[in-house]
This record gives sequence, C-alpha cells and structure tokens, in this order.
Amino acid sequence: MSDFDPGRRRFLGHLGLAGLGALGASSFLSACASSASGPTSNGSGAVTIQSNLSSPQAKAAMEKLIETFNAQGKGTASLNTIASETFRTQLPTYLTSANPPDLYTWYAGSVANDYASKNLLLDVSDVWKSLDDYPQSLRTLSTDASGKQIFVPMNNYWWGFFYRKSNFAKWGVQEPKTWTEFLALCETLKSKGVPPIGIGLGDTPWVASAWFDYLNIRINGAPFHRELLAGKQRFDDPKVKAVFTRWREALPYFDPKGKAYPFQEATTALLAGKTGMFLIGTFFADAAPKDALGDLDFFRFPIIDPAVPLAEEAPTDGFFASAKTANPTGTKALLSYLSGVEAQEAYVKASSGIVLPANPRAKASDSPLVAKGKAMLDEAKELTQFFNRDSSDALQPTADTALTKFIDKPDQIDAILREWQAGAEKVFKG
Amino acid sequence: MTATISTTSVTPTRRRRRSARLSPLLVAFVLVPFAVESVWVFWPAIQGFWFSLTRWDGMTPPTFVGTDNYVELAGDATFRGALVNTVIWLVLFGGLSVLGGFGMALVLQKERRFVGFYRAALFTPVVFSLVVTALVWRVFYQPDGIADTLLRAVGLEQLIRPWLADPQTALYAVILPALWRQIGYVMVLFLAGLKAIDPALHEAARVDGANSWQRLRHVTIPQLKGVNAVVLSVIVIDSLRSFDIVWSLTKGGPYHSSELLSTYMYSTAFQSLRLGYASAIAVVIFVLALAVILGYLVRAFREEAS
Repeated sequence: MSDFDPGRRRFLGHLGLAGLGALGASSFLSACASSASGPTSNGSGAVTIQSNLSSPQAKAAMEKLIETFNAQGKGTASLNTIASETFRTQLPTYLTSANPPDLYTWYAGSVANDYASKNLLLDVSDVWKSLDDYPQSLRTLSTDASGKQIFVPMNNYWWGFFYRKSNFAKWGVQEPKTWTEFLALCETLKSKGVPPIGIGLGDTPWVASAWFDYLNIRINGAPFHRELLAGKQRFDDPKVKAVFTRWREALPYFDPKGKAYPFQEATTALLAGKTGMFLIGTFFADAAPKDALGDLDFFRFPIIDPAVPLAEEAPTDGFFASAKTANPTGTKALLSYLSGVEAQEAYVKASSGIVLPANPRAKASDSPLVAKGKAMLDEAKELTQFFNRDSSDALQPTADTALTKFIDKPDQIDAILREWQAGAEKVFKG
Repeated sequence: MTATISTTSVTPTRRRRRSARLSPLLVAFVLVPFAVESVWVFWPAIQGFWFSLTRWDGMTPPTFVGTDNYVELAGDATFRGALVNTVIWLVLFGGLSVLGGFGMALVLQKERRFVGFYRAALFTPVVFSLVVTALVWRVFYQPDGIADTLLRAVGLEQLIRPWLADPQTALYAVILPALWRQIGYVMVLFLAGLKAIDPALHEAARVDGANSWQRLRHVTIPQLKGVNAVVLSVIVIDSLRSFDIVWSLTKGGPYHSSELLSTYMYSTAFQSLRLGYASAIAVVIFVLALAVILGYLVRAFREEAS
C-alpha cells in the first residue's frame, strides 16, 4: 500500500485489501496450523534432527556431535537448528505432518507424555535396554502412561538461590536453611539498603513460576503439585492459598524493578550487587561474564515444613522421535549415540552451560558449583521439572497472569485464584 | 495494472475488436491471481470460519461444537478487556495519528529550507521494522532508562513507574511508539493529497477574502475527501492488525492489561493451543473491520448519490 492515489477506484481497491486483511487474520491461523511443511526425511537415508538449541555454544556443540556421529559410519544425520520460539509453536505441526523430521530436542515429563498419548512419538524402549545404569527417576520420567519409553534424556540442570560469594561476605551474611532464616536474611539485606530478592518478570514472566513451584513442593509436596498441574486438584483450593500466604511474607523483599526487566537484566543486577540473591535456573549463567562465574554460589530453596519429602526442580532436556519416522533404526542408532558417555561429555564440554549429563557414567564439568548442584539433586527424594514441563505450555500463560497479578495486588488473592482455576479449566477442556 | 496499460495503448480500431471478444491474456491476468488468491487467501479464510465452530488443538481432528466458542466469548472477561483496549487503540492510535499526520503535513507542505530534512526525519520511523522500534522504545522505558532520567531532570520523579509493567500505563506506553511510527506514514499520505489540490482554488479563495482558517475549512479539507478515505482504511486496518509492537513490548501483559484482540487471538491459538476459540476471535476482528469500513463506504456512496 505504497500508492496513495485518492481516486474512488483506488479506494475500492483498498477496501478489498481491508477485507482481505481481516480475512487474513483468520486465514493466518488456519494456514499456520494446518500447513504441514517440515523438512522431509528421505526413506532410510539421513536422519533429520530438529533442534531448538539455537544459542551459539549449544548450536556448535550439537553440530560437533552430529559430525562425530556421521564420521563413525553407523548412519548419517543432518541437523536443523530452529529459533526456539518458532520451534515451540511449530512442534505440533512437525509431529502431525505427513512426512515429519525424525528426531527432536525437547523436554521430558508431561509435555512429552502428552504427545505420546496422541500416538505421535516413537517407542524407544530398545534404546533404553542399553541404559541400565541410568537412575530410576530418569527412566520413570521418560516412560509414558502405557509403560513404554518415549524419551531419551541428555542432561538436566537445577534451580536455586544464586548469589555472589564476595557480596555475601561483604554483607556478613550466610546461606539460610529454613524459611525463618531466609526471611531474617532478607531483613538484614534490606536494612543494608540492598533489594534482597531479584526477579525478572518483564518479557519473561514465567520466571515467577519457580517461586510457585518451589513454595508448593515445600508446603504441599511434589505429588500434590503434579496433580494440581495435571488438573486433578483445584487452584482455588485452600492448600494453594497457603502457598501464597507464605509468598506474601517474602513479597516486601522483592526488587521493585524486577517487574520491568527480563531475567537477563536481573542477572546483571545480581552480578553488579544491586540485588542480593536470585531464584533462577543455571541457564542464567550463559549471560554472565566468565570472571563472575567463579564468584557465584547458590543455596537450595529454604525448607518450610521438614515433614514434607525433599523435592527439587531439575528440568530434563533430551530427545524424542516421531512415530512416523521412515527410518526408525537410524533414529534409534543416533539416540544410542547421543545417550552415550562420549557424546554427553563432549556436549557438556562444548556447551559451556552449567548442566549435568543424564548418563551417570559421564563426567560433569568439575567446578565446585556443579558438584554442589549434583549433590543437591542426588539428595532430593523427588524431582519436578518446571511449571510448563509438568503441565503444558498451554497452562503456562494462566500462571503468568495469576502470579504477576499476585505480586502486584496480593490483596486480591481469592479473586486471582478463582480466575486461575477458570483459565486452567479452559485449557484442560481444550 | 498491466492489463489497463495494454488496452489504453492500442489503437481505437483494435480496441473495438478486443471488447467484442476477451483477450486470452486478459483472462489469464484475471484468472491466475484469482486462483492463487483462492488457494492462499479465500479458502483458508473460509476454513477460519469453519474452525471458529469447532474445538481444535492443532493435532487431533477438530470437533464441531456449534456456537459454543461465541457463547464463551460473550462471557470471557479477558476478551471484553481486549475489545475495550482495541477500541481505545482505534480511537487514540487512529485519531492521534490522523491529527498528528495532518498537522505535520500542513506544516511541512510549503517548500522551504530544510523541509525535506524534516519530512525525512518524520518518515524515518516507518522504515524501521516494528520489532526494531520496540527494541528502541524498550531501552527508553527501562528502569532508570531515558524516560526516567528525563522525568528526574525536570523534577517529576514521583511520576516514575515501571512503564511497561504497570497495568495503568502499559497500553498507553505501547500506543506511543506505534504513533511515533504511524504519524510519519499518515503525514506522507496527506502531503500527497495536499500537493494534488489546485493552487488556483486557494488563490480564488484568497481573492474572495477568506482567511487561512476559512481556506483550511472550506477548501483544503473538502478537497482531501479522497485521501481521507484512504487514510481511514489504512488506520482501521493498521489498528486492528496491530500486533508486533504490542507483542514485542508487553505480550499483552501485565495480566492482560495491554491485551488487544490480535494479541489475544495469537496467545489463544499458539500458547493455549485453542485454535477453534482463536478462530472465533479472528472472525470478530474481521466483522469489526468490515463494519467500520462498510459504515464509511455506505455514507460515502449516499453523499455521492444526493
């Protein structure tokens, strides 16, 4: 519409465009959802692997793995790296297309099981036969409702309250163990003029879900948390309200600027000593300068009720394959390679992120931070994934709305939980 | 376009023969685009209407649910909020960009020193992709960013707030960058319209003793009728399809306070995976656009007839 001849004919033309533009709004939806245009795999030839690991280090690490696999002569694979947001929205389309890519990077847990229940995922029990020494927790996590394995884990990471050792020393404070100690620590930091708790909700509101997950698994336990996220419990239950009653005790200590900036900037604020600590997953360190990494430490989310079995968030990343793959043998060969010690160590080394390899024989990087993280997860009785991974990406926006609203207007908690329940019911209904 | 040129450039005798029997070239020029449009526009659009009557997650086949989606829309508070926000957007974004664009066009209409520079400066934001615009404005709005520094400099620090994260200000904080871009665009449309006005009309009005306000009211504005129609349709379309700037700045948040129908449609479709319900929202957007534009068209036709 760069021409602007004001004649009537032209105007009618614009009208037509207007109609089409609006029609386009609806056609856009159907076109995106029904067109099935994924890269195609050619019979028993190369295995296509669709990857959302698009950050430069992770991408390079994956490229290297595939290169090594191809050099081994057990099959050929080609890597297809997609921007993660595109990958997320297009994944259902890939999987339901007539000629889908073979293998996908994705998350373990209910997100994978949901696809499995629609018969979209390849049974990879064969691959698991050689993974005897994997911990039972990972095996359970990779098994669908019908008892077969549909997922092969690559690595996991942990969440915790990260802080700078030098700053804690400067302020003369120690890691808290219990909720009471935690609140006392917040009070001390506040009296020293430091906003105690950093957060980054602008653009990344899902970060708030970590608080909800942790408070819920500390107060009500992991089984209740999973049932709640699966729609078997209600968000307006008094047990859920108890979570927010606790959270409210900590609200005055949140950095008020955290609402406006994303977690990457909250990381910068933490490293610059503008906030005291930050509940976040280890991926945040990707954005941290190398010299700051040695100064980082973390403590586990404080214990609230010692009677509740200890659970930690340990999101697990890995692979699943399309049930419609034309080359199941090649796909499984690639999965076996990827779950092996060699590939996992190579990935951990090249990716620079703080991750723990899934294979128990593969060595994690030998920093004290990683050792501490691994020990924390080993000690836990239960592992949860994260809000969206234990439920679905569809439920995540309902949590974002409810939690950011709670942080703004804690007085309205009853109404917020009612709205959350109504929103969740719509998602579960489909 | 090409078809028009080829008919006007031929001799009268040949033209007469052409009109008796349609040239195959002409038929091709009509049918080929029509076929392409049918596959890529009309058919998916009709499908969109069908999907709005179904429940569909994008994976399993859609199930027909009748008007359930529309009944749900009627009781959906988020949808009502998005509708109100879209109306606010239409009035503020549309109204202010017309006023601003027209004002700028009047000021920059006369050729004088540096006028080219000013026009280019106002038009520059149009060249940027809205996502880039959003990045620039995000820096402007960030805590301790330029906006906050400016307010502090003039002693208004009590006004400082998390502009994009405060439900009271989020919508308006997003309208501003959208306006920043749109004013330049509308200005160019009006400039072209103003250039097309015969200077003799102004000359005559001046001789008749009309002051500048009277000349604006009774010469310029009536002469711009054609441009107004274009501007109106551009504004309505741009308002209803506004999505990128909102999505890159706030994603409709915090808690739906800057949600528009377009962002709500997107998040319903691709985050909640409720494609049937999202199609129903798309149909509402379509009906709204059609209603506004048809309303104008009917009036314009009536004026012409009388």
